[in-house]
Amino acid sequence: MYVGIWLGLVVATVAEVLTRSLAGAASLLALIILLISSGKAIVIAMYYQHLRYEDWHLAILPIAAVVGVVFLAVAAVLSMGMGM
Amino acid sequence: MSEDYVEEGKSTYSPIILAAGIALLLLGLVLFFPIAIAGIVVIGLGLYKFFREGASEKFAGLKESLEERWPLETLNKEKLGVWIFLVSEILIFGSLIVAYAYVRLSSDSWPVASQTHDVLLGMSNTIILLTSSLAMIYALYSIRAGNAKGLKTGLVGAFVLGAAFLVIKLGYEWPTYYRNGFTISSGLPGSTYFVLTGLHAVHVGAGLVAVGYLIFRAYSGGFTSTKHSAVENIGLYWHFVDIVWMFLFPLFYLI
Repeated sequence: MYVGIWLGLVVATVAEVLTRSLAGAASLLALIILLISSGKAIVIAMYYQHLRYEDWHLAILPIAAVVGVVFLAVAAVLSMGMGM
Repeated sequence: MSEDYVEEGKSTYSPIILAAGIALLLLGLVLFFPIAIAGIVVIGLGLYKFFREGASEKFAGLKESLEERWPLETLNKEKLGVWIFLVSEILIFGSLIVAYAYVRLSSDSWPVASQTHDVLLGMSNTIILLTSSLAMIYALYSIRAGNAKGLKTGLVGAFVLGAAFLVIKLGYEWPTYYRNGFTISSGLPGSTYFVLTGLHAVHVGAGLVAVGYLIFRAYSGGFTSTKHSAVENIGLYWHFVDIVWMFLFPLFYLI
């Protein structure tokens, strides 16, 4: 199973690189690339770091940290909107 | 053992020694370099003590009350400690990545990624790190099955691939950028790139030291099918370093 996951991650990496050369709005392509990256990160955390098989309480820790980073990102976006 | 007691790991001063070493290292980097070397020595001593104690026998500690131990009571304490450490790492890298996105979106112009960075080299490094994670998984499942040879193969594979990542990054890519005039002083594009990928490289280096320790213990017969928590816990860190690169690669090389 882990070799299959590795293969999927490699294919996703190649897909990211190919997405870059597609025709389309740069912001849309960037969004697609970042979605693929986030998917890869989630797969690594779920399978390689075994979060999928652990007590679900353990997942609270990384999820809380990611939520904190998302709050920071939202604050940054809002501050840009306010011209700060 | 009475039901009021529970088997726990031995308490240790190692984290305090490690923290003091890191403080000396950082102080030395700012004030006086020999202090930084003393810091590295103290960190080394702290790590030695920490891992040496990791192999020591358990002792009986007083069981915590329900409100103190819920909801993490069923979790392995070592693994919980590693995850708490990884939370701090997520916050460090997350903050820096958000700061990078902020300055990039606020800037009027930014160099095109493909003009400053070698996409194929970045992709190769991504695949190298993914493969090193696979090697670490192979090591873990090998020792779970009692296969010491597979453990050594997996660990050495992870180490060699991690080292290859660093050699490509620090030995080829960075010098090429410097020769082309793209340095840490090249405004925000240069400083953000070298700070973020540099911090990541430091983490890969720290991971190599940890994997090197695992290799040493593996060749000393220090792991069995029932006693291999260090392989699993250092593996968690190794995969985290991989995850960080999954974001740095597209942010600097593709977008």
